[in-house]
Amino acid sequence: MNTTVVDNTDTTNTNYGGLWRITQGERVRYLVAIVAMAFTNLCMFGAPIIGGHAIDVINKEDFSYGHSTLLWLTENLTGELSYTGYIWLSAAASLVITAVGGVFLYVRGRMAAQASENIARRVREALYKRLHHVQAQFYDTADTGDLVQRCSSDVETLRVFLVSDVIEIGRAIMLILCVMPILFSIHVELAMWSLCMMPFLVVGAYIFFSKVKQAFQVTDESEGAMTATLQENLTGIRVVRAFARQAHEIERFGTKNADFRNKNFHLMKLMAYYWSISDFFSMSQLGIVLLAGGYFALQGSLTVGDLFIFMTCASIVIWPVRQLGRVLTDTGKAVISLGRVNHILEEPEEPVRYAPASGRAAGHIQAETLNFAYADGEPVLRDLSIDIPAGETLAIVGPPGSGKTSFVRALLRLYPYQSGSLKLDGTEVADLDRFWLRAQVGVVLQDPFLYSRSIGDNLAVGRPQAPHADIVRACQEAAIHGAIESFPAGFEEMVGERGVTLSGGQRQRLALARALLKDPPVLVLDDSLSAVDTGTEQLILSALKARKGRQTTLIIAHRLSSVMHADRIMVLDNGRCVQLGTHEELAAQPGCYRRLCEIQGALDEQIAQDLADSRGGESH
Amino acid sequence: MYDDENYDDGFDEEALAARINLDLWKKLFAYARRYPTELKWLATCAFFTALMEVAYPLLTKGVVDAVDGHLKHGTDPQLWVWGLGYLVCTIIICFSIGGFIWMAGKIRTHISHDIREDGFHNLQRLSFSFYDYRPVGWLMARMTSDSERLSNILAWGFLDLVWGFTMMIGIAIAMFVMDWKLALVVFSILPFLAWISARFQRRILKSARMVRATNSRITGSFNEAIMGVLTSKSFVREDANQQEFSTLTNKMHGASVTNLRHAAVYLPLVITMASLATGLALAVGGMDMIAGTMAVSTLIAFMAYTRHFFDPIEQLGHWFAEMQMAQASAERILSLIEAEPAIKDSPEVEAAMAIQAQRQDESRQFAADGGAAAIHDIELANVSFAYDPAKPVLDNINLKVQRGETIAIVGPTGGGKSTLVNVICRFYEPTGGQLLIDGLDYRNRSLHWLQSNIGMVLQNAHVFSGSIMENIRYGRLDASDAEVIEAAKIAGAHDFITAFPQGYASDAGESGSRLSAGQKQLVSFARAVLADPQILVMDEATSSVDTETEQRIQEGMQRVLAGRIAFVIAHRLSTIRGAHRIIVIEEGRIKEQGSHAELMAARGHYFDLYRQQSLQEASRDLLDDPQPAS
Repeated sequence: MNTTVVDNTDTTNTNYGGLWRITQGERVRYLVAIVAMAFTNLCMFGAPIIGGHAIDVINKEDFSYGHSTLLWLTENLTGELSYTGYIWLSAAASLVITAVGGVFLYVRGRMAAQASENIARRVREALYKRLHHVQAQFYDTADTGDLVQRCSSDVETLRVFLVSDVIEIGRAIMLILCVMPILFSIHVELAMWSLCMMPFLVVGAYIFFSKVKQAFQVTDESEGAMTATLQENLTGIRVVRAFARQAHEIERFGTKNADFRNKNFHLMKLMAYYWSISDFFSMSQLGIVLLAGGYFALQGSLTVGDLFIFMTCASIVIWPVRQLGRVLTDTGKAVISLGRVNHILEEPEEPVRYAPASGRAAGHIQAETLNFAYADGEPVLRDLSIDIPAGETLAIVGPPGSGKTSFVRALLRLYPYQSGSLKLDGTEVADLDRFWLRAQVGVVLQDPFLYSRSIGDNLAVGRPQAPHADIVRACQEAAIHGAIESFPAGFEEMVGERGVTLSGGQRQRLALARALLKDPPVLVLDDSLSAVDTGTEQLILSALKARKGRQTTLIIAHRLSSVMHADRIMVLDNGRCVQLGTHEELAAQPGCYRRLCEIQGALDEQIAQDLADSRGGESH
Repeated sequence: MYDDENYDDGFDEEALAARINLDLWKKLFAYARRYPTELKWLATCAFFTALMEVAYPLLTKGVVDAVDGHLKHGTDPQLWVWGLGYLVCTIIICFSIGGFIWMAGKIRTHISHDIREDGFHNLQRLSFSFYDYRPVGWLMARMTSDSERLSNILAWGFLDLVWGFTMMIGIAIAMFVMDWKLALVVFSILPFLAWISARFQRRILKSARMVRATNSRITGSFNEAIMGVLTSKSFVREDANQQEFSTLTNKMHGASVTNLRHAAVYLPLVITMASLATGLALAVGGMDMIAGTMAVSTLIAFMAYTRHFFDPIEQLGHWFAEMQMAQASAERILSLIEAEPAIKDSPEVEAAMAIQAQRQDESRQFAADGGAAAIHDIELANVSFAYDPAKPVLDNINLKVQRGETIAIVGPTGGGKSTLVNVICRFYEPTGGQLLIDGLDYRNRSLHWLQSNIGMVLQNAHVFSGSIMENIRYGRLDASDAEVIEAAKIAGAHDFITAFPQGYASDAGESGSRLSAGQKQLVSFARAVLADPQILVMDEATSSVDTETEQRIQEGMQRVLAGRIAFVIAHRLSTIRGAHRIIVIEEGRIKEQGSHAELMAARGHYFDLYRQQSLQEASRDLLDDPQPAS
């Protein structure tokens, strides 16, 4: 169900080297963490060794089985070598050594946390930055859900890997490395018996978790389908009710819900098999240690205390080793996630070429034989030429897909044009600093985007720290001030789920106010009054008229009422400018514009007729 | 992006986490009790797992005894007996472990399924007034993460409860039998450990919640960055946004490190506590050994027990904290499942429906509730409606509509137009007055019957994922392809649909993202045409359709409206003019009603509205008055 847009098949990013590279800058922390972990492990094994010696000393009633350091300590601290002294000292020593191990454990956790969180923060910020600076065409084909997933769950996978899995792998390896010399120094043969199952446990777990990856994925997809069905039902609840389709919906959701349950349960069954088999081997390993140890003890080559050491050490090692198989498969996941993240990070940014420009533009726009096409499609603008003097109001009309919006996008340099020229104040748009260029243009879109913050903050996007009087004026001009005042919290009201739900028209008007507040030399209304009722539209148009001369205005609209009072009207068809002139001129020519007038005209006549009739009625 | 932490829904996480509310969990545990066999098996497996874990140190003790006895007294060690015992225990524990994972897995997946199912059932029943103050994200969070979280607690928490208590009691018995004095010494550590566990687990969970909340805000930020990229670019917001995002990632960094630090402190503390117990066992036990009152094997067994004795405490501490923290989730989900719809069939209607269901009625004259199937007229008698009694949305509306009549509803935004049709559809019930269908209050008829006779086309047309064909067929599930296409033709959607490469089979995209707003409206209109309802409601249904297409569908629209009771909310004059009657609603009242000609003659609100809409009049205003009027 995920339409994966950014290509993942390319494997250049999907290698283990990438994981090494992102740890850059944090490697010292990781090193400290690993060293601390080594000490932790040594301490953790220390306690059973001390215990084992103590047991032998008492059991054999012979100090020669004692640990040399502890014997020395006992003698020097208590003044004599007594069993009581040795035992209490052993107990205290094992407590101290565990506590010291605990401190190392804390250092390890602290360092790993710091390192992984630093990396995660760096990756998040880099992603965010890149998403803002990539070329606009990146978003033509990208699926929002997929991108968000890369930025959230893939980063999370990576983070979990960095904070726990890296450490987990290190820990298992270190434990084995630490335990081997200890055990081998006590009894070589038993040491070999004690580790004999470990390789099988690791390899078995790795194979199992690689195999069930499929089952995990199927379950995830099933959950996704269930969630999607739920979401659709909830967002479309009015339609469901309006057609009384509750039973149908319950059945539809029921199927998805049951499917997810079954797949999830299937996964649990696999886990049940895995853990019981894996536990069988683990317990067998401990059983082997016990019985083989017992055998060697009977033979006299091992003491009871040593047997205690072997049993305890084996049970300390076996758990992390068992985890190792799972963790290794997680490494595979982390590598894939990193690849998905890197694909965004390697997306090219917008080009930075620019000619020095500063101050405020005049707003003179010239296009000459401008040709524009999206990445893989038909040209949408063909040989378009037009000269828009500063301060003019130009209306652009034309059927859907005729290139109206594309012209605006080219003007904002959101997309590169292929040939011809497009100039602002005589400088080629492609050569201008894109930030300066965009600061000169205020755009209002048909379906405007509002940030999920307060109305006031949304307006501030247009011009931060604008004086309140300016804000109020912009809102009045956009005919939204009354509506804002009527909200309980006024300008502080939140937009979206946590506050007011704005109607389409209100959103458009708020976006217009935002653009007006910006007070740009070029104002573009891209079909942005479509959801505003005609009465309000006229108020807005007259307000814009009053601002005439402050800015060059481009109005893209379908409604005749929106365009007819523009200085000039450009009719686009299939990417070409087919007509250009004033309302009167174009209304007189045959063509698309006149047809539009005729439709409206018929209506107008009707209205005029109605008005006449009713006036007549009045005079009776 | 939705998250509970940043949204006030009236459930106070802190207050609800203050203490365990047993009644709440009893209610939820009813879900687990639907699976009594599995619960019994789960308890059995948990019991045996714990029992075996208690047995292992005893086996070790046995081996050590045998070895020690042989070395000291030359007795026959009979190691094979212990080997056999070990094997038997291992087989039992492996089956028990497999068994409890299986059973807990079954119970967990089934409980979360059942919770979702109950929730979904109720959501389909609940009135719109419930949805008014519950955003979709809130509902989604209940149905997904909360149901998983609670089912986890119910299944695994139950497991660990049985396992933990069995193990603690088992170990306690073993220790007391072996040496009660030493047992008491070891036990003295217990209260401290339990206290530390509960306290730290809670802190860990609390800081984890902070991490989750911040994380969902970060996800929200990414979502906003992607959705609003063109706006951000055109307002040159890149740096400002990045700065705001940085404060968020810093917060996330801080919260995560805090969370991990809590865990990093907790683990060493527990390990040290446990080693204190082991050390005490060694010292006190060792003294006994010197005195000759304790065998070496007993000391070893004690030291093994002290290593495992704290596992159940840790686990139970974890579940205790998790239950506390999850109480808000539990309250929320129960509030969803137990909510009663404000609007539902009365007991009388339900009884009538039961009688009708038994009757073999082939004539289709009667509806499912035994009333007449056909609707001849609708009458609103003094209908008022208010969410908040101080602010009536509809005030004393009187209106009678005959079959075949089209009523246009006009008036300013917020005047009550949409509320009026919502009341007619019984999405809301009048708070005053009555709505009569053929003279009978509609509260005496079945809700389902009424709503299945209503077709509704809304401004924000909702399109489901799936093909366009399926989307239109939603209007009448048994319609043939030909009927669907016919409906699309009437609605003026046929042309653009066939222009798609895959025609009617084209995917409408997730929530119709591949269709324009106008196209969605046409699909939604076709759906209503296909449904062939007795009552048709169009709420700004063609507002996004372009002028030319709008002209084309006028004729189809007239045909569709004919013979029904139709309510049309519209701005477009062409749509309004054709109506039999026009009502002007302002501030919840009918200001005017009558035919187009009558209202024009009346020179009232409608006349003003109409005049304002008229292009010529409006342009005259524009030329005369260049100042903004607001």
